[in-house]
Amino acid sequence: MRLRLHHRTEYRYSEPVSNNANELRLQPPTTLWQSCESSFISVLPGVRLSHYEDLNVNVVHYFEISQPHSRLVIDSRVTVNTKCKVNFDRLPYGFLHRDLDCCRTMEDCHPFLQNSYHVEVTPEIWRYALDIKGESEDVFQTSYAIMEHIYKNYQYQSGATNVSTHASEVLEGRKGVCQDFAHAMVALCRSLSIPARYVSGYFFDATRDHSLRGSEASHAWVEVYIDNFGWVGLDPTNNKVVDDTYIILARGRDYRDVAPVIGAYYGAGKSAMNVNVDVQRLD
Amino acid sequence: MFANADGRHFDHYQTLHERFESLGATELDEKRRLVENGFLEQGITFTVYGDDQGTERIFPFDLIPRIIPDHEWQLIEKGLTQRILALNLFLHDIYHERNIIKDGLVPEDVVVGAAHYRPEMVGVDVPQDIYIHICGTDLIRNGEGRYLVLEDNGRCPSGVSYLLENREAMKRAFPGMYRQYRVRPVDNYPELLLKTLQNLCPRPGQTPVCALLTPGVYNSAYFEHTFLARKMGIEIVEGSDLIAIDGYVYMRTTKGLVQVDVIYRRLDDDFLDPTVFREDSVLGVPGIIDAYLRGNVALANAVGTGVADDKVTYAFVPDMIRYYLDQDPILENVPTYLAWREDDRKFILENLEKLVVKAANESGGYGMLMGPTSTSKEREEFAAKIRRNPRNFIAQPVVSLSRHPTICDERQIEGRHVDLRPFILYGKNIEIIPGGLTRVALRKGSLVVNSSQGGGSKDTWVLYR
Repeated sequence: MRLRLHHRTEYRYSEPVSNNANELRLQPPTTLWQSCESSFISVLPGVRLSHYEDLNVNVVHYFEISQPHSRLVIDSRVTVNTKCKVNFDRLPYGFLHRDLDCCRTMEDCHPFLQNSYHVEVTPEIWRYALDIKGESEDVFQTSYAIMEHIYKNYQYQSGATNVSTHASEVLEGRKGVCQDFAHAMVALCRSLSIPARYVSGYFFDATRDHSLRGSEASHAWVEVYIDNFGWVGLDPTNNKVVDDTYIILARGRDYRDVAPVIGAYYGAGKSAMNVNVDVQRLD
Repeated sequence: MFANADGRHFDHYQTLHERFESLGATELDEKRRLVENGFLEQGITFTVYGDDQGTERIFPFDLIPRIIPDHEWQLIEKGLTQRILALNLFLHDIYHERNIIKDGLVPEDVVVGAAHYRPEMVGVDVPQDIYIHICGTDLIRNGEGRYLVLEDNGRCPSGVSYLLENREAMKRAFPGMYRQYRVRPVDNYPELLLKTLQNLCPRPGQTPVCALLTPGVYNSAYFEHTFLARKMGIEIVEGSDLIAIDGYVYMRTTKGLVQVDVIYRRLDDDFLDPTVFREDSVLGVPGIIDAYLRGNVALANAVGTGVADDKVTYAFVPDMIRYYLDQDPILENVPTYLAWREDDRKFILENLEKLVVKAANESGGYGMLMGPTSTSKEREEFAAKIRRNPRNFIAQPVVSLSRHPTICDERQIEGRHVDLRPFILYGKNIEIIPGGLTRVALRKGSLVVNSSQGGGSKDTWVLYR
C-alpha cells in the first residue's frame, strides 16, 4: 500500500522561550515490509537540522533554536510503501511458552524482557497476566488474548492519563490512550517472559466510518517476538494484528525510547501543543 | 530517434514510434491543422515584446509527446518537493531569524542585495508560513540522462495553461494511442490551485473569496490568466477593479463591494502597490500591501519570494537543502559561477566564449549571453557589464540539453533540444502535476527554449507504473 503522511506538531508558548533543543523520531525506517520512499522534516523557525542513529537503530533528528521565539512548528512529510508481514491464513502459531527460555540469551530480545522507564513487572502484574493466559500454551495465542483483553476491558479516554503515566497505573485504572494500552500490554507480555517492544507510528484508517481509534495523532502498538517468525505487531487500541495499513516510525522499550518529539527549553512560559496527522492512500 | 546515446530504443517509446511510422504525410498534416486551428479558435496565444510582426502568436505545438516513465517521475517529484520545502524555509528564515546567514552558509549581501528582496517583509508572518505557493521549476536532462535544475520560478511562473491545452489537443488528435499509454491525468490542476488559494483564507469558517489579479490584456500571459480564472470559477480583476479601504481589500462588482480574501496575483511585487513599491505603477492597488501586512488579505505568491528566484541565490539552494532538511539534494544544480566571487569572476571573464552568462534577475531568456554563439562585440559588452555590477551576473557551462524527436520542416522528424517545467503547488499538501510543460527549441541546434525566443512546446506524458 502506498501511503502519504503529513504529521504536524505545533507548540505555542505563552511567553517567548529560548535554547529550545529537540529530538525527533519521525523518519520511518526501511525494512523488508516497509520502504520509505521519501521523508522530509521541516522546522520553523528555520534552523540547522542534524541527525544520528540511536541504540534501537531509529533515526533521530535534532536541532536547537537559541534565540527567543513563541512558536515552534515541526512538519513531517512521508511517502511509504507498506507490505503485510503476517499471512492471515497462517498466523504464527506454534511457538510454545515452554520454549521461551531461548529468548533470554538473544541479543535482539534481551532488552525487551527487562523493566524500563514506563514498564515494571510486579508479582501482581504476573498474576493478572496468568489469568488472561488461562490454559494457552501458545505464545501468539496468549499475546492475542492479552491484546483482546485490553481492547475489551479498557476504556479509551484521552485526558485520563498523560505522557508520563506508568504501565502499573494503566493496569490499575484501565483507561487511557494508545500509548497507555501499549504500555499495559508490554508489561503483561514481559511478565510472562514474552519479549515485547513498544512501537510508534501511524495507520491508515480504511474503515468506511473511520471507527478506528487513534488515527488523528501518532499511534502506538506492541510487537512480540515469535521464534521462527520474528516480531509480530499487535494493536491493543484497535484489537488488530498489524497489517499493511500501519507505518512504523520507531521501536524501543517504551515511549521514552521512541517519543516522536521530545525537547526542553529555557523560559517560564507555558506551552500548548497541537498535533495533526493526515494519512492518505495513494494507489 | 527515440533512442539513447548508444542507439538503444527506449521501451516506453515503442508504441509511439510505430504510430508515427504508420502515419502518412496527409494524415500528419491533417492532425497538425486540426490542432493549430483549435488553438487559434480558442485564442491560445501569447505576446512577444519588442517585436513588430503583430504581437499575438500561437504557441507552436509539436505533435510528438514526450514520455516520462514512472520511476523517473518519482525521482523528479521527490526532488522538487525537497526543493520547495527548502526554499520556503529559506524565505521564512531570511525574513525572520536569519539563522542561515548567522551560521555562515549564505552571505548577507546575497540576500539583502537581491533585487527582489523586500525589507517590508521582515518579521511578517505570512498565512500558513508558506511563501511560494505556486512554483514552476525548470529542469533539463544532461548527457547522462540525469535531471538538473536550471532555475526556480517562484514569483509568477506561467505556462500551465499551455500544459493543460496541449493535453486536450493530444487527446483529440490521438485518442487511441493516448488511452493505450495509460497517461496520468493533469486536468485537476485548476481544482488543486483553487484549494491551494483557499487554504490561505484569513477569515476562517467562511467561503473564501478568491480573485486573480492580472496586469491586463497587454500582458504576454493574459490568455493564461483568463483561462485559469475561468477554470477555477473565480473573478479575474485588474488593479482598478480592486480597492483597499481601512486595511481590507474589496472588489467592485455590479452588486457593490465584495471583500476579497485571497488574491492570486500575476503581477510582480514592484507593481502591486504604488504607495509602497513603484510609485508610477498604474496596474496595482494603493493600500493592498497595508491590508496584506495586517493579515486581512492573502497574496499568492507571497511578497518577497523574488529572492529565491535570484540566480545568485540559486547557487546556494543545495546548501539550503543540507542545512534545513539535513539531506543531500535529490536534483542537482547546473554548476554555477558567481561573478561577485573574485575567483569566479576571473574565470568567467577569461572563458566568456565557453559559458552562458545570465543576469541574476531577468527571465524569459532576456539579458543573457550564449558564449559559443556570441560575437566578440557582444562579449566585450558583457564583460564590461560584469565588471560594473558583478553581483548581478552568474555564468554556467553550456549544458547540452537532451534532444527529443520533433516534427520539423518538410515533415522530417529530427531531434530538438527540450527542457521541462513542472508545476508545484504548496498548500495543505505539496502537489506536483504529473509532467509539466515541455518546451522545445524549434530552431536546429538552438538551446533557447523560451517562447519569446522561438520556442515551442509538447505534451508531456507521465505513465502509471
